[in-house]
Amino acid sequence: MKLLVCIKQVPDMESRFKPDSRGTWYHEEDLAWRMNEYDEYAVEEAVRLREQLGEGAELTVLSIGPERVGEAIRKALAMGCDRGVHVLDADAAQRDPWQVAAMIAAHAREKGYELIFTGMQSQDRGSAQVGVTVAEELGFACATTLVGFSYADGAVTAQRELEGGTKGVARLGLPALVTCQLGLNVPRYPTLPNIMKAKKKEVQAVAAAELLEEEARAATTSFHAPAKKGGAVVLEGEVAPLVDQLLGILREKTALLR
Amino acid sequence: METTREIYWNIGHGVVLPMYVLSMAALGVLVWGFWKRLPIYRQGKPLNRFDRYDERVRRMIGEILGQEKVARVRAGGLPHNLFFWGFLILFAGTLLVMAQADFFTPVLGLNLLSGSFYRIFSLVLDLGGALALLMLGALFFRRFVKQPAGLETANEDYVIHQLLFAILLTGFLIEGARMAATELPHNPALAVYSPIGYLFARLFTGFEEASILIAHKGLWWLHLALVLGFICAIPSSKLRHIVTTSLNAFFAPLEPKGALATINLEDESLESFGASSIRDLTWKDIFDADACTGCARCQERCPAHSTDKPLSPMKLIRQVGELAQRSPDAGLIETVGVDAIWSCTTCRACQDICPANNEHVNKILELRRNLTLMEGAFPGEEVRGAVNNVEVNGNPFGLAFAARGEWAEGLPVTLMEEGAEVDILYFVGCYASYDRRNREVARRFLRICAAAGVRVGILGKQEKCCGEPVRKLGNEYLYQMQAAENIELIKGYGVKRIVTTCPHCFNALARDYRDLGLEVPVQHYASYLQELIAAERLRLKPEPFVATYHDSCYLGRYMDLTEAPRSVIAAAGGRIQEMERSGADGFCCGAGGGRILAEEKLGGKISEKRVAMARDTGASLLISNCPFCLTMFEDGIKTGGHEGTLRVRDLAEIVAERLQG
Repeated sequence: MKLLVCIKQVPDMESRFKPDSRGTWYHEEDLAWRMNEYDEYAVEEAVRLREQLGEGAELTVLSIGPERVGEAIRKALAMGCDRGVHVLDADAAQRDPWQVAAMIAAHAREKGYELIFTGMQSQDRGSAQVGVTVAEELGFACATTLVGFSYADGAVTAQRELEGGTKGVARLGLPALVTCQLGLNVPRYPTLPNIMKAKKKEVQAVAAAELLEEEARAATTSFHAPAKKGGAVVLEGEVAPLVDQLLGILREKTALLR
Repeated sequence: METTREIYWNIGHGVVLPMYVLSMAALGVLVWGFWKRLPIYRQGKPLNRFDRYDERVRRMIGEILGQEKVARVRAGGLPHNLFFWGFLILFAGTLLVMAQADFFTPVLGLNLLSGSFYRIFSLVLDLGGALALLMLGALFFRRFVKQPAGLETANEDYVIHQLLFAILLTGFLIEGARMAATELPHNPALAVYSPIGYLFARLFTGFEEASILIAHKGLWWLHLALVLGFICAIPSSKLRHIVTTSLNAFFAPLEPKGALATINLEDESLESFGASSIRDLTWKDIFDADACTGCARCQERCPAHSTDKPLSPMKLIRQVGELAQRSPDAGLIETVGVDAIWSCTTCRACQDICPANNEHVNKILELRRNLTLMEGAFPGEEVRGAVNNVEVNGNPFGLAFAARGEWAEGLPVTLMEEGAEVDILYFVGCYASYDRRNREVARRFLRICAAAGVRVGILGKQEKCCGEPVRKLGNEYLYQMQAAENIELIKGYGVKRIVTTCPHCFNALARDYRDLGLEVPVQHYASYLQELIAAERLRLKPEPFVATYHDSCYLGRYMDLTEAPRSVIAAAGGRIQEMERSGADGFCCGAGGGRILAEEKLGGKISEKRVAMARDTGASLLISNCPFCLTMFEDGIKTGGHEGTLRVRDLAEIVAERLQG
């Protein structure tokens, strides 16, 4: 059984973000890079399934981006993926979700993957479109925001997180794609022998041009910090009216008293 | 009348052959007893502890004869040592008698044991025996009457006490019987030089000479039998420490304190890291169990043990020995327990006080290496997060690496990348870079340097965590990645001297980074400030104040820097009210060994215990010079309810307030 997990390398969210010269995305100076958090859950779940299936299975990790993305791929390999596909794309940050999904679908088509894992969304762009679009393009069954996953007898049982903390369960036949959410698992910390082994695993480099046939459908026109608003309101006066005033604000602007 | 005594008096020279044969047999039992233990030690990995032979022999002889490590704890230590020296005198005397009787007399025809020398010999041996007897009584009292907490007594303790007592007693009885029949009637002037023997001789007066002679002969054989029994019992009882503890003074590491084997990560033949069974430890680690005397000093000083956490350094040493003997393939981590393994603060109090030179800390670190590098384990989820943060942002807080130098904006400091000439590189460390409280300390340090005319450079956002906490959590890989980046950077700038305000950075850079190629001299600021003051580059206007001082483990115990910070405090006008545990005996704040990154979920809070010790001195000011200690004490003062009565401040803050001009 062939498995695919798609990951994205994103800046650490504690970084200091500045718009780039075009003002349509962030400047890459002074950023620390890491694997997208939701993709870590996807890798962990895919590796667990890979371990469950044993010898017959092969797990591929795919990422699109410039040279630095290789680090994220190595980490996924150290966590237990068998091989990597690095779609070398210096302009990956400019692609819209449709293009990214189309590139992944172009790679996955004809490869015989039966199950694809992605994160629920990326921490930087946050469109949450790539996974579902890939499923649509490939004609796969799809379930999103997984907080529970199991595979048996050719079917996936997916526990999903719904609004307000309720849960739903979906059963999917193969082929299928699932997008993973916080709470699904605790991603493993790669062991040193696996880090060493990962250095020798095959990573296939694919030029973006080989996969990219689609035009962008949604262009990002501006990237900027939110306008600074007044951070605090100072209430003054007698205690009794102050209490009413505070209660009013809490009712109106927060969920505390609902 | 000649001043000497007849050796083998009443026994006759006919005993010489059987006596030597029996003694050789006993020595054979002794050697065989240890010989058959060698395969147990050999289950461990090889380790060269036979290098620098002269140095090791000198140290061993010094430790055996001086017994200084045992003396560090007066109760128990003092009677032990006096007993030891008393027994040693008797042993030396016996050897001298042997040499006289079977070598000097028959071969050289020379009698050493005569005249004044005999008088001295006789007196010294008598007093040595008396001392040993007296101290055995004191040890008996401590062992069986008023036992200190943690001291475990086994059945063999009763046997050994009785055996030693019987050996000393029969020795004096033989002497008494001989004197009653010889010196007392024929040469009473000489009896003065055997005062204890004289007392025992009085027991025999009134008996007929024939009876005395029979008693003497019987006692002589009994004494010989007891001594032979003693020799035979050495390898199979706790008496083995006479041999093993002595040998450990030879085997003890000669590396700087705190040195930990740097794993060669380039070596592709390595498939397993750290220790999960005793076979992953070294032979010395297994031997340590035999050298352990069970004195419990380690356990008594352990900050984890004394706050009811499931760690006893003594138990750890013994568990290694038990597994090596009974089930070498059993899981070492399961036997010791992960909670015990993660509880260690690597404060080194156990190892420092151990009179047997046992190495507790590195065993724990090898277990942690296995947990971390082979299992990807952490003591808690908060630590997983912190370690990931170090990996991504070079600091455990997960704050932007690019913000690392922001604390110094507008201060007199050079960013190394800007290339100006500097006198020192200040390796700031994560806490002084990001933690609000410790940023104050960093700023004060810069102010002090400016006042002394020292040009300071920092690496700013290029600096990474030194890697010490993650290394002590077992993550050698991440440590070496951090270290390699720092070292390459520092080398590239051609730095002449590095100063740190963090003892953990100090230990990493000054000692651990040596293995990875950093050779620049590194100092902690306490000793750097002491030098500046001594050279009169830094002038203080002392104002009298009273404080207590906490020795950071990584400064005091690891680096022996106990005087420098005290002299800086004195130069600032401070009078120190010492805590009960200070200097090499200092008590940890709870943050070492990567514990700064972990929540303290088991047992009591170590920081509160230490803060209470500070409070007990009566001083209202606690001075430390480690960002981890400062963080722990700020916390311990709040949760321990000492707010308003005790304040903790860093040495740099104290000094910065007393700058001249």
